[in-house]
Amino acid sequence: MAFTLYSLLQAALLCVNAIGLLHEERFLKNIGWGTDQGIGGFGEEPGVKSQLMNLIRSVRTVMRVLYGLVMKKSNIYIL
Amino acid sequence: MAYHSGYGAHGSKHRARAAPDSPPLFDDTSGGYPCQPGGYPAPGAEVAFSVNHLLGDPMANVAMAYGSSIASHGKDIVHKELHRFVSVNKLKYFFAVDTAYVAKKLGLLIFPYTHQNWEVKYSRDVPLPPRQDLNAPDLYIPTMAFITYVLLAGMALGIQKRFSPEVLGLCASTALVWVVMEVLALLLGLYLATVRSELSTFHLLAYSGYKYVGMILSVLTGLLFGSDGYYVALAWTSSALMYFIVRSLRTAALGPDSVGGPAPRQRLQLYLTLGAAAFQPLIIYWLTFHLVR
Repeated sequence: MAFTLYSLLQAALLCVNAIGLLHEERFLKNIGWGTDQGIGGFGEEPGVKSQLMNLIRSVRTVMRVLYGLVMKKSNIYIL
Repeated sequence: MAYHSGYGAHGSKHRARAAPDSPPLFDDTSGGYPCQPGGYPAPGAEVAFSVNHLLGDPMANVAMAYGSSIASHGKDIVHKELHRFVSVNKLKYFFAVDTAYVAKKLGLLIFPYTHQNWEVKYSRDVPLPPRQDLNAPDLYIPTMAFITYVLLAGMALGIQKRFSPEVLGLCASTALVWVVMEVLALLLGLYLATVRSELSTFHLLAYSGYKYVGMILSVLTGLLFGSDGYYVALAWTSSALMYFIVRSLRTAALGPDSVGGPAPRQRLQLYLTLGAAAFQPLIIYWLTFHLVR
């Protein structure tokens, strides 16, 4: 399996895109991974699941900004 | 949280405070280039005079002065941009090595079973540079081992008459990509398990880069003693590297203030360390078996 740096970049881009596709309302809430559902106390241990949900939410937020810029530039208004 | 992961402002503020007291990383060798005295002009002026004489043109003067000012301006810009992404002081810490440290560390990578004390030493909250502490990670050995591995791969392929210059670049980028993926996976694992430790990205890069030493030894033994020698060396270096990683990361990842942490989190950290260790032999095998047929 010979990798080039460009293929790493492609893979990273596809992974980030895949995370960005997970819609908050339609999908994550039905599984139980919505970020307003899982907040425990403000104790010491966030736990793996809440960290993962926070990560997904932050990736989606960053991607929405980037997507908006790209769409605006190419005059397409989806999302 | 005295040992919070030191990115950016926190780390540099901390270190700036302790800077007057901490030992210097490098010896000052700036006295090695004095101004040349008397009637012996500096080489640069000599070249400039001869070029002027050659062109005999004031425009060339202006063009050269302009070019050199552009070059220095460009250098400043590059430095500024580089400082924004990579903290050069932190990087310097990893390259503050000397010969004795390198020799002992290589010995430790091959035979870690008799080493007793795996703690990283500190001096006033600043970790000691590798020159003074055997357990400190460094980036010199991984870098050199990576370059040696690429050259060795080229030689091994040449022996099998499968060499071409593109293969060299492909080998180098493949190994680099695997290290990057491993570092990213470790960072993700550390984030998910909320480990608060001293481990920065460069530490993880250093620990991931130590596997190149094992790879070099395996390939070398495979070239000298054939396929059996390769497998023996692979087994030996894999187990030594796994032991080394587990012992080092256990003291580094746990950190001094999470010893009494909740049990599931400690278990997560343990799984992370074991996973990182178990990944090493796989990747060593994957990256070297096609070189020794």
